[in-house]
Order: sequence, then C-alpha cells, then structure tokens
Amino acid sequence: MAEQQIDQFTRRLDGKVRRAVRENSAAGTAKRAEILAADYGDPTPLRRLAGEIRQHAIENLDVHLAKAEDSLKRNGAEVHYAVTAGDACRVVSDILSRAGARKVVKSKSMVTEEIELNGHLEAEGIESVETDLGEYIVQIDGDHPSHIVKPIIHKSREDIARSFEREGLGDYDDDPETITRRARAWLRRKYFEADAAITGANFVTADSGRLVLVTNEGNSRFCLAATRLHIALVGIEKVVSGDADLAVLLNLLARSATGQQLTVYTEFIQGPAGSGRPSGPRETHVVFVDNRRTEVLASDCREILRCIRCGACLNVCPVYRQATGHAYRGVYPGPVGAVLTPLLAGKDFPAFADLPKASSLCGACNEVCPVDIPIPDLLLRLRNRAHAERLPSPGSPPMGPFAAMASRPWLWRMALRSGRVMDVGPVQKIPVPWMRAWLNTRTLPEWRGGKFRAWMRDRRKGGDET
Amino acid sequence: MKDAREQIFASIREALQTLPERKPHPGPPSGAADPRWLAEETDAAALFLKRAAAAGTKVFTDAEACADWLRGLSARVVLLAENVTELTVDALSFAEVVSVFDRNDPDRIDASVTRAAAAIAETGTVVLTDETTPDRLAALAPWTHVVVVRRGEIHRSVADALAALPDDPNVIWVTGPSKTADVEGILIQGVHGPGEQAVLLI
Ligand code: SF4
Repeated sequence: MAEQQIDQFTRRLDGKVRRAVRENSAAGTAKRAEILAADYGDPTPLRRLAGEIRQHAIENLDVHLAKAEDSLKRNGAEVHYAVTAGDACRVVSDILSRAGARKVVKSKSMVTEEIELNGHLEAEGIESVETDLGEYIVQIDGDHPSHIVKPIIHKSREDIARSFEREGLGDYDDDPETITRRARAWLRRKYFEADAAITGANFVTADSGRLVLVTNEGNSRFCLAATRLHIALVGIEKVVSGDADLAVLLNLLARSATGQQLTVYTEFIQGPAGSGRPSGPRETHVVFVDNRRTEVLASDCREILRCIRCGACLNVCPVYRQATGHAYRGVYPGPVGAVLTPLLAGKDFPAFADLPKASSLCGACNEVCPVDIPIPDLLLRLRNRAHAERLPSPGSPPMGPFAAMASRPWLWRMALRSGRVMDVGPVQKIPVPWMRAWLNTRTLPEWRGGKFRAWMRDRRKGGDET
Repeated sequence: MKDAREQIFASIREALQTLPERKPHPGPPSGAADPRWLAEETDAAALFLKRAAAAGTKVFTDAEACADWLRGLSARVVLLAENVTELTVDALSFAEVVSVFDRNDPDRIDASVTRAAAAIAETGTVVLTDETTPDRLAALAPWTHVVVVRRGEIHRSVADALAALPDDPNVIWVTGPSKTADVEGILIQGVHGPGEQAVLLI
C-alpha cells in the first residue's frame, strides 16, 4: 500500500523515456508560447473568448446538436446516435456490413480510442488500419498512445525501426526519413485497398453542417480521397454554433498543439462527393457518441467538455513530464485526462480517483489552455467527490497529527525545534510508511524551522533584525 | 437509432436543466482572432507569398519559373488539370503530361498542377474544393503539387475565408507540405501528401 498507482508507474519508468517525454514536452510548450506572443501579445483575451464560445456551445448543446443534425442531413450526410461505447461500435459495424466493407482505413481519432473501435472491428474480421504515422506504430505494437497529439512521444526511433523490421516494412533502419517513406509506401497501398474510411472530427458546425478535421500528415484527406464510404465518429460535445467560431478555435488549436499558425490540412466536410466525381465518398455517416458525456454535462465539471484536444496542458504539466502518458491509464493523459478519465469511468470512478490528486495545482494547465478550462478547480472538485465517497487515499499522509500539532502552540514549538534532527539523520529511511512513500519522490530542503519565531522574539526585544 | 437519439437529447436537457441560466454566445469575433501584425499588411498578395514561404511552400509568380523548377526536380510525368490555363503542355514539354489520375498506378505521377478555389494571405494557405479539384487524389498523391491561384482570389484573413466558405462537399485548406514530427519530434516532410508543395500566383 502507501503508494498510488500513478506513483508506482512513475517509479518504474525507464529514465530514457522520461527524458524524451520531458524534452519533447518542454519544446512544445516553448513553441506554443513563442508563436502566441508573436501573434497576439497576451493571448489571454483570445483564450477567454474561445472559452466562452465553447462554454456557450455545451450549455446549449440540445439546440446546437439538433441544428447540426439538420444541417448535416441537408448536406446529404446520414446521422446516427450512440449512447454507449458498445452502441457506437455496433453502429459502425452495421454500416460497414450493409456496404459489404471488409477493409477500413482510419484517421486518428480520440473517440475511437475511447470506444476501442479497432479491437471491435478486428473481432468482427474487419481489417482496420491506422494511417496517422504515430497511431500506425501504436497499432502494430499493440500499444496505446501516450499523448493526445504526439501518440508515440514515449518511443525512440530504434523502437520504431525494430517494429518496422518485424512487420516486414524493410530491414532495420532508424533514420526518421526512411521510417516515414516506408510508412508512406505501405499505407498508400492500404488506402487504395480500403472499402471505407473512419475519422473523428475536431469540430462540427451547427449552422452549416460541416465536420472540421485537421491533420498535418494529410492522412484524413487521403482516407476521404481514396475510399467511397466515410464514417465520422464525433463526441456530442464537438458541436459549435457556426463557421465564424472557427476563426478563434482553429487559430488557437494549431498554435497550442504544435506551434503552427494553422495545421497543414484543415478539412471542411459537408457530405458525400457529388455523383460523377472521380474521388471522394459516395456516403457520409456521422455517428454522434455520448459515452457518458451527458453525465459530465450534468456534473460540476462540465467545463472539461470545452476541451479541443490540443495537448498543451500535457506538455506544460510538471507531473505529466515526470510520469508520462501511460501513467494516467486512460485515453486522455495529463491534466485533461486527470479530469476526464475519472468522469468517463462512470461507476469505476474509484479506480481512477488517484488521478485528480496527481497535480500540484500549480495552475500551468489553466494558463495554457486555449479554451481557458479551470482545470485545477475541476481537480479539486473531483478530490472532494472522492472524499465524499470515502474512497481510500493511499500515499496521502494522515492530517490528524498535523491538525493536533498546529492547534497547540507548545507542541508546535517543540516540533519545530526537534525538526533539526532531519538535517543530520537520513530522512529517506524514516520508518513511517506514509512518510517514506512521500519522501521517495521528493527531496526536502534543509530544515530551518523555528527561525522566524526566534527572529520575532529578538525583534520584540529590540535585537538585531536578521 | 431513434431511441438512442431521444435518450441522448433527454439526458442533455436534463443535465442543462440544473443551470440557472445558459451562457449566451459572445458574439462574432470581429477581428479578435487576427494576429496583431495583420492590420499593418496592406498588400494581400505580398503577405500571401510571404506566409506561404514561411509555411514551407515554394512560391512562384511566373509560370516559366515554375515550369523550370519542375524540370529541375526531374519530373517525368506531370498531371495537368484541365481547368489550369496558366501552365500549358508546351511549357511542360520536358515531361509526359497526363490529365487523369490512375489509382492503379498512384506513384507514376511525379508532379501535379491543379487550380485553387481561393487563398488566405494571413496564413499562406490555398483553398481547394471539389468544384475546382474534382479529383482529390490528383492534388494529394504526387510528391510534388503546384496550385495555381489568381490574385483576386486571396482572402485577407482566416476569419474572412471562413465567412466565404463555399457550400461544397469538401473544402480543404492546405498550408505547406504534408509533415510529421511523430518520430522523436524530428520534422519530416511528405508523409501521405506532397513533400513539395508549391503555389503559382498569377
Ligand atoms: S484541456 Fe485545454 S489545454 Fe488540455 S488538451 Fe484540452 S484544450 Fe488543450
């Protein structure tokens, strides 16, 4: 006992992985800050505006979702709804089997990770290939993405070269350029063999019925150029009121995610390609997925539904940099995951109740968030919930002794004086389990307790003021 | 799936019922999303060229120079879209010129030249639609892609381009060559789309 799951993972983590994640994250944070400062000076007003746009969208979700559905249908898309993850998977396999589709190409989508669509399709005998380079590598390794935007931030080029060799993409070669070329050639075949494309969507506009999809690699575009059937899985909270909102959201998304002005490919999809066009889907299906989002909407943490999945809060978070993505045991790592994973877990909330505590509440996540989500407040609300549900809290020191000490001046004075022994004794060896657990991942500064009191005493006596 | 729809809408309405009031829309962003330097830029074409180059796009304002560049890349098979008039078969005489993308032999074409529907100065972006680029593959699969843009088609800002989004099954904004930084954060161009993206501004 005496240690939370996230701490256990972190302690066993390979130092090389930790270093790679830390460096990559720090670079991402710096690039974001640089471009936002160059283009907007202080980005705070724009982040607030984006937050209001998204908060409006989710607080009027009934109106906007219905409107989005109407607009999409008007544009020739078919609209479906799925309450649970299982329902969503079934809707997809029904569409595929009706079309006789056996091979699918996929463009990176967090909601399909959430509902574990690949596993479901595989079980049905349908080949489903991820086309985003990072997601493809995650898939062939049977791994999970460890970052929202950079799925293989935890892998080295050597790891990838070995995987490619194993999968028959060529002899071992860890040159990133070669790796990319090989994936290009391999996945190109998959696009042309596929019967259908599955994507997510970054936004859906209610007024014009557009699915907005951004990628840097161009894989979603290729999916929608090479196949004749498109299925988009979209969390219901992705709806925004209209095209005009996108000016704020797209500008902030690209800068926050990758330090770019715009993502290379920004695609606006209204529906199937016209008949007679040489490429593009003949059918477009949009599946709106709830999967407990309405529960989040009903909770006191609904602000998290504003999230546009930029990953900036991961990059900046000192805990994420130390623990890395898999420590969060969910689809969404980092601060956003610490809020979202327990909420999306439903009655399994207790299994993830340690995540909201994996934060020093430093506030950096809120400062970088393009939609100004008050993540630290949400973490506190979730901690309160765990407390109210009387969940055990391994690794947390009992506060009773502290309270007793802090409310008795004589005991407090004594403790301050005796604290000095910590400078001479090896504190890491203290035989109190909860203290040892706490000290394992922290170092104490030199003990200087009592100085203030001594200074006050001297001052009252008119002594030296140092 | 009528049941699922009703269930979801009922849950949404129930969740929102607890709100004392619903947040109103903050109103149109009216320039809030424009970078602060945008106001000083008066020449949309010049800004477009500058930003496109910054995004890694090769820029040409002269058809001959563009053709020379393609020759220099030793493009042997070039797809020339039918609606492009600025570059001609004659100008591309160094290559075999085709007009149709063959999906059975997707890597045969070294370069393609297609028409843009519009462009965005602020970001150096070209806008493609099904209307102007009926074969999406032609503008995506070849290693080198040249887009022809006319000066009058340039929107000043992202916000302007959004306000003018056409009704088209698929509008795509292209800002630079296809790229990834998935492998150790190292930037590599040409993942699934063009490794060389170019514009010819006429
Ligand atoms: S919570 Fe904010 S910073 Fe984190 S991924 Fe979502 S939008 Fe980005």
